[in-house]
Amino acid sequence: MRQSHTAVVERNVEWTGHFFTEPYETSWATEAIFFVRQLDADRFSTPIPLCVQISPDGIHWCDEGTEFPLTPNAELSWARVGHFGGWLRLRGELPTDQTIRVIVYLQLKE
Amino acid sequence: MSAHPDLSRFDPLPNILFYDDFDRGLQGWTGLIGNYEDSLDSILPPYRDLRPPMLPNSSAWDTGSSGSLSGTYAMKLATRPQPGSLAVGIKRLTYRHQGPIQLEAYFTFKPEASELRLSETDVHSIGVLFDLQDDQRRVMPHLHYLNAVDGVQQGRWQFKSRQPQFRDIGGTGKTVSHFHLGEEGWEDLPGGGQLLCYNEIATKQNWHYLKVGLDLKSMTFTTFQCNDHLFDVSAVEPMTMPAMANLWCMLNVAFWVRAGSQKRSFLCLDSALLSAVIP
Repeated sequence: MRQSHTAVVERNVEWTGHFFTEPYETSWATEAIFFVRQLDADRFSTPIPLCVQISPDGIHWCDEGTEFPLTPNAELSWARVGHFGGWLRLRGELPTDQTIRVIVYLQLKE
Repeated sequence: MSAHPDLSRFDPLPNILFYDDFDRGLQGWTGLIGNYEDSLDSILPPYRDLRPPMLPNSSAWDTGSSGSLSGTYAMKLATRPQPGSLAVGIKRLTYRHQGPIQLEAYFTFKPEASELRLSETDVHSIGVLFDLQDDQRRVMPHLHYLNAVDGVQQGRWQFKSRQPQFRDIGGTGKTVSHFHLGEEGWEDLPGGGQLLCYNEIATKQNWHYLKVGLDLKSMTFTTFQCNDHLFDVSAVEPMTMPAMANLWCMLNVAFWVRAGSQKRSFLCLDSALLSAVIP
């Protein structure tokens, strides 16, 4: 039976400006899904691109190539990721004066 | 025991309640969250952002993966890069006999190696606690290793006896919360000074042995050992409060790490073993 794990990498966190999720170690896993759940009514007006990032060491980061939009009024946004190595996180940027409160899940499977 | 190389480095009581080496997942260890009703905003502020455990292969930017003490994976607790940030891993079970129990673990702690400096005082503290309840009392033995405060090395074990005030959560009258992991209220363990091997740069980590013994009948400490130091815990009073609804026979174990600087602090457990004497 394959190992699996759901990590809540951000919980009830408010994003503003440039934001990143906390790094999460994934070296044991081969597949992942990021879920971003919006917790408050939309306080942003246009879709926000979220970029998956990978890292060799948890310190230095680069875009993995997967992008998915955070859409106003969409409770859940998500993206599948594979072949990502030892670390994963998300990055994004909100326009000035716009914020959003979220829970971010990282579902991992061996 | 001697026939099992991984178990032979422990000194367990006769009945092993769990043995987790984290090469088969987190094995029941999970993140901690404060109590809430209706909204996550009802959580006491210091409970809102306790960081969850993960499974690292202990990779460093300069030397690559070191794995765990036995195998590839460990359980890692990682704070945010903020002073005071906490990461907690907890395992929840119940007991079937009020007798001796003993927790053993191999652990190591380090700051994130985000700069080429020794950084030996960036981790504030690492700790272990139990959360127990019998028919009369809820008892929460706490021990932590105070590594450094504001960049000044401390190197001593402390315990916490004073119980923080309970707060009502929500409006039903059924939920309360108390934040017991705060920096306040810690007292020095008698003879509790100990300098642990940090090694010479931030990416070299050494594993340490920990043993904590308790008696569930008297709800007192019986043993505390870290590496070659055996401490006298006979006079240490654990945090005690009246029994609470819904916690009967509770036996929780938790580890945590607190950041002391604007750098992530890491606590890794190679393995943890809880044993007991069950007639």
